Amino acid sequence: MKAALGVIAIALGTSASVLGVMTLAVGLARHDPKLLLAGRKYVFALLGAAVLAVAIMEWALIGHDFSLKYVAENNARGTPLLFTITGLWAALEGSILLWTLALAVYLAATAHRFRHRATDPIVAWATLIGLLVALFFFALMLGPANPFRVMSSIPFDGRGPNPLLQNHPLMAFHPPMLYLGYVGFTIPFSFAMAALITGRFGEGWLADTRRATIIAWGFLTIGIILGGWWSYEVLGWGGFWAWDPVENASLLPWLTGTAFIHSVMVQERRGMLRVWNLSLVIATFCLTILGTFLTRSGVLNSVHSFSTSDIGPWLLTFLAVVAGSGIALIAWRADKLHAPGRIDSPVSREAAFLGNNLLFAGLAFVVLLGTVYPLLAEALNGQQLSVGEPYFDAMTTPLGLALLFLMAAAPALPWRAASGDLLRRRLAIPAWIGAGSMVIAVMLDTRGLVPVLAFGFAAFALANIARSIYVGVRARRRANGEGWLRAGGRTVGSNPRLYGGLIVHTGVVLIAIALASFGTFGSRREVRLERGQSATVSGYTVTFLGTSLDRSAQKTTKSARLRLAQGGDVLGVYAPSISTFPNSTQGIGTPSVRTGIREDVYLTLVSSLSESKQVTVVVAVNPMVLWLWIGGGVMAIGTVVALIPVRRRDRATSDPAPAPAQPIELASEEVPA
Amino acid sequence: MAAVLCVGAIGALLLLGLRGNIVYFRTVSEAVKTRTTEGTHRFRLAGAVVPGSISQTSGGVRFELTDGKKTVTVDHAGDPPDLFKARAPVVCEGRWGSGLTFVSDRILIKHGSEYTPPKVKIRPSASGA
Repeated sequence: MKAALGVIAIALGTSASVLGVMTLAVGLARHDPKLLLAGRKYVFALLGAAVLAVAIMEWALIGHDFSLKYVAENNARGTPLLFTITGLWAALEGSILLWTLALAVYLAATAHRFRHRATDPIVAWATLIGLLVALFFFALMLGPANPFRVMSSIPFDGRGPNPLLQNHPLMAFHPPMLYLGYVGFTIPFSFAMAALITGRFGEGWLADTRRATIIAWGFLTIGIILGGWWSYEVLGWGGFWAWDPVENASLLPWLTGTAFIHSVMVQERRGMLRVWNLSLVIATFCLTILGTFLTRSGVLNSVHSFSTSDIGPWLLTFLAVVAGSGIALIAWRADKLHAPGRIDSPVSREAAFLGNNLLFAGLAFVVLLGTVYPLLAEALNGQQLSVGEPYFDAMTTPLGLALLFLMAAAPALPWRAASGDLLRRRLAIPAWIGAGSMVIAVMLDTRGLVPVLAFGFAAFALANIARSIYVGVRARRRANGEGWLRAGGRTVGSNPRLYGGLIVHTGVVLIAIALASFGTFGSRREVRLERGQSATVSGYTVTFLGTSLDRSAQKTTKSARLRLAQGGDVLGVYAPSISTFPNSTQGIGTPSVRTGIREDVYLTLVSSLSESKQVTVVVAVNPMVLWLWIGGGVMAIGTVVALIPVRRRDRATSDPAPAPAQPIELASEEVPA
Repeated sequence: MAAVLCVGAIGALLLLGLRGNIVYFRTVSEAVKTRTTEGTHRFRLAGAVVPGSISQTSGGVRFELTDGKKTVTVDHAGDPPDLFKARAPVVCEGRWGSGLTFVSDRILIKHGSEYTPPKVKIRPSASGA
């Protein structure tokens, strides 16, 4: 019965998208506002259908209804409630279902936001394109990715989710965040396409989609960071990023999306980079589809290939249609797209943004090439190969450093052109702080040019951010005679976009420092220990006390008890483990981590002989890893700040016209201090 | 002209970077076939562990790896992962040592993308997991 209800819900969603697309198309062709108003209502029908389908799936999961194939494969009677609920995104079909729900929420929120402009052609076209995207995903669920397939015979118990996916609560958050990020880029994409179709590719569509873009970007950022955290806490190989194809798939749209968030400001301010912005948005959306293809079609070897299926050709076709129509539209409008302005000086805000964009695009290209090269090579000469991590490290490090430098300097540059005097006033002290940090880093025995530069640029960036905020708050204090705290809050509130951005930058700096420290000061050793034996790694002494075995219906966990001590102080007993699940012979290692502000001690059980007298453990001392997650949190806070609506005095009118782009410059700085 | 040079230089740099870091994936038979031309390049060797061939060494383990047609000896530095056992399908990363001995420093246990691993049969040709 649930299967039938589920399929009905999906069929409802499909018909809502078809009817919505048709109504809007006819309405646009006939310039009939009534049809346009009717067409947008289908978005809410779509949302209802998606909510219904997800609710039915959750109902089946929580009720352990193994008559559904998806439930039987991703749930078991012994699965804890949390992982029963998260079973919705444990495999392909459910993930597509969640994807559709997220898309429906975005579409409905957008339709609600533009409720007073429903007859505006750009909004109608954007809704139509959003519905087309939704139609594709609903069609996937009617066809090759049907989550409501039934079992021919109902098993007594299901297989349960993939062991890797029921090992850590982070699993509940990482995939939905990633999907919310991926899916959110549909909104700027559909507005970009609508702008091209209607010929209104001025700055209006940018203002319309600014919030959606930032929300999507924020979710994607959180999703990527949580993925790294999950990898670190669960996979037990000691790191958080392995340039795995699926990780790269999430990074690619983030890179182009980040480029877009920056280049938008150039267009808003100077009207330049129109083609570039449109291309970036379309590319970002394409990369989310490519990411889904890489993740879900099983074409690439990956630790994340949890499910393979035959939706590959569908996604590739969709990708080709999206990319093809995007390029065709840009080519069609090419003659009208040329920019009214030019970049006046290489030392200006817009030039810095251009550099930022070239670097982000370069990064995206390098990562994309390394990710799909194995596919190309296999298609061209049938050879199976993989691209090693050193390629990615070697190629991305210089680009990343250059970006860090730009991020440090660019917010201090004025638009159009900078005078030497202004640069000196703004940048001299931060530059000295950056240079001083490099000297200190070298004195503290930092090996290698890369980390020294990274620390120096990071300090330069932090100093610049602090200076910007200080100057803004001080000016406000002087003008209004407010206290520091009040002036601080008001300053941020007066230009949340600028200060939110600076907070995000602070998070990036923390992450850069953590990455450079991790790569430079970390140490790692594999040791074989008899019971009672100790080994010392970087000042930490690890003593093997014994093993313990914990059997439950759900899993069997073998753990090694290890006493961790530093210079005579016992820090505690840690127990890295390996779990085996009844329905799988794959063992899942769970590392045990002593998290610290300065460094983590990361213990992994590699193997233990059955008589439990000897274990092999990896002891890794990972500096600054905590700051990766803190940096991610700071980025999330900054994103939220950037979304705060600006308080305006004349808010009595419910004028639905788009808010003009906020200035992204420190106005107060133009006055010599 | 300058732009063309720039693009060319970047392309060359990328290709060099790629070339140096490509790790080929070979079955035991393929690896034996290209033994003489391979030199000391790193590659990944896929096969199944021959039952009864595993022995502990001072620095790790030694075992034989087969794809049903050819068999080579693998000298692995470090302890193998927990699921390493006879008949397990594994991928070893490393380079050729002397003769048909493969010196490995990394063992990846292949498992199916569905988490119920495939019944381990010693397959004539291994495809990507």
